[in-house]
Amino acid sequence: MDTENNILTAVQEAFKVEGKVIRELRVEVFASKDEISSILLFAKVQQGYIHLAHITCIDWLEDGEFELVYTIYNPENKITLFVKTRIERENATMENIDNIWDQANTYEREMREMYGIEFPGLVGDHEFILEDWDEMPPMRRDFDTNAYANETFFQQPGREDAKDVREEITGRSGEIVPDYAKKYSRD
Amino acid sequence: MEMIEANDKETQGVVDYIKNFIRKQSIFMLAYGTGCGAIELPATLTSRYDAERLGIRGAATPRQADVLLITGYLSTKTLKRVIRVYEQMQDPKYVIGFGSCTINGGMYFDSYNTINSLAQYIPVDIYINGCMPRPEAILAGFEELQKKIQKGEADNGVKYKENIEWYRANQKKIIKNWRMPDYNW
Repeated sequence: MDTENNILTAVQEAFKVEGKVIRELRVEVFASKDEISSILLFAKVQQGYIHLAHITCIDWLEDGEFELVYTIYNPENKITLFVKTRIERENATMENIDNIWDQANTYEREMREMYGIEFPGLVGDHEFILEDWDEMPPMRRDFDTNAYANETFFQQPGREDAKDVREEITGRSGEIVPDYAKKYSRD
Repeated sequence: MEMIEANDKETQGVVDYIKNFIRKQSIFMLAYGTGCGAIELPATLTSRYDAERLGIRGAATPRQADVLLITGYLSTKTLKRVIRVYEQMQDPKYVIGFGSCTINGGMYFDSYNTINSLAQYIPVDIYINGCMPRPEAILAGFEELQKKIQKGEADNGVKYKENIEWYRANQKKIIKNWRMPDYNW
């Protein structure tokens, strides 16, 4: 755990950010939007975090924010560092970091398509995985996939009158459906 | 036994009977898999289940193939490719829908990018249910297809051409930016 604490301390001394050691080999840091590229560059150049494993996005609809998690990895001491930040959900914009790692381009294009986050200066076609998509970005939580699917695709008739036969089946042997199992019922 | 049953002189002439008999004995399926079900096909084709004893084997290109398998969920992006492949296939052509995804969407029923009912876009001859169907179920499905071919009922390629406007309307509802060649068979 010493190495993990050392890394956390090193980042905190340089940037005054909150953070904690999650467990062995896992360290996380919460930073503001503007500090992200500096922290990533610091970690890459000075701490040996040469590998960007992933960038992911979490939609905090209730808070009106997106959380971006940059997962970076140091192959020497095998410690993963999570750099987290929160950005505004309305007109979401984030700094483009593909000058630090080229592969960030792929993740950023995916987030642009799936969450609608803009990355100024990002090179690449706006159409990445989806084709001819003109709705709200589909991974946003306020996008109702069920309503969209019902409207767009043809439903096979018969799904509506599918009924819950659990009561009937358990009734044959005199069993009773326990309360904890009822939450999986169709109604 | 099955041959005698199907050899109904009132509904089929001798030439048609022979033609259908030959067709059902050599079903070439296109080596193309969508979704997760294609993983069952190697098991069906190799030594344990040995589909070739029923005349079922792979074909490399759509123009050489008789049957198109939709093995599992079909995304809207793949649907475009499937339609092109299906239209390139030569008559007689058959479609087999694998698994619950092609019937009603299966576990992807509320997904924004997978279709729910395959028969709305291309005509389907046989559905094989299961998620995924095992090789036994696949062979049973092919056997049903063979019966259908022998009876002369498997003419969906012709029906597709007759009802092309209806199918096109459904396809264009999903594929908004239509940049596909129009065939005039």
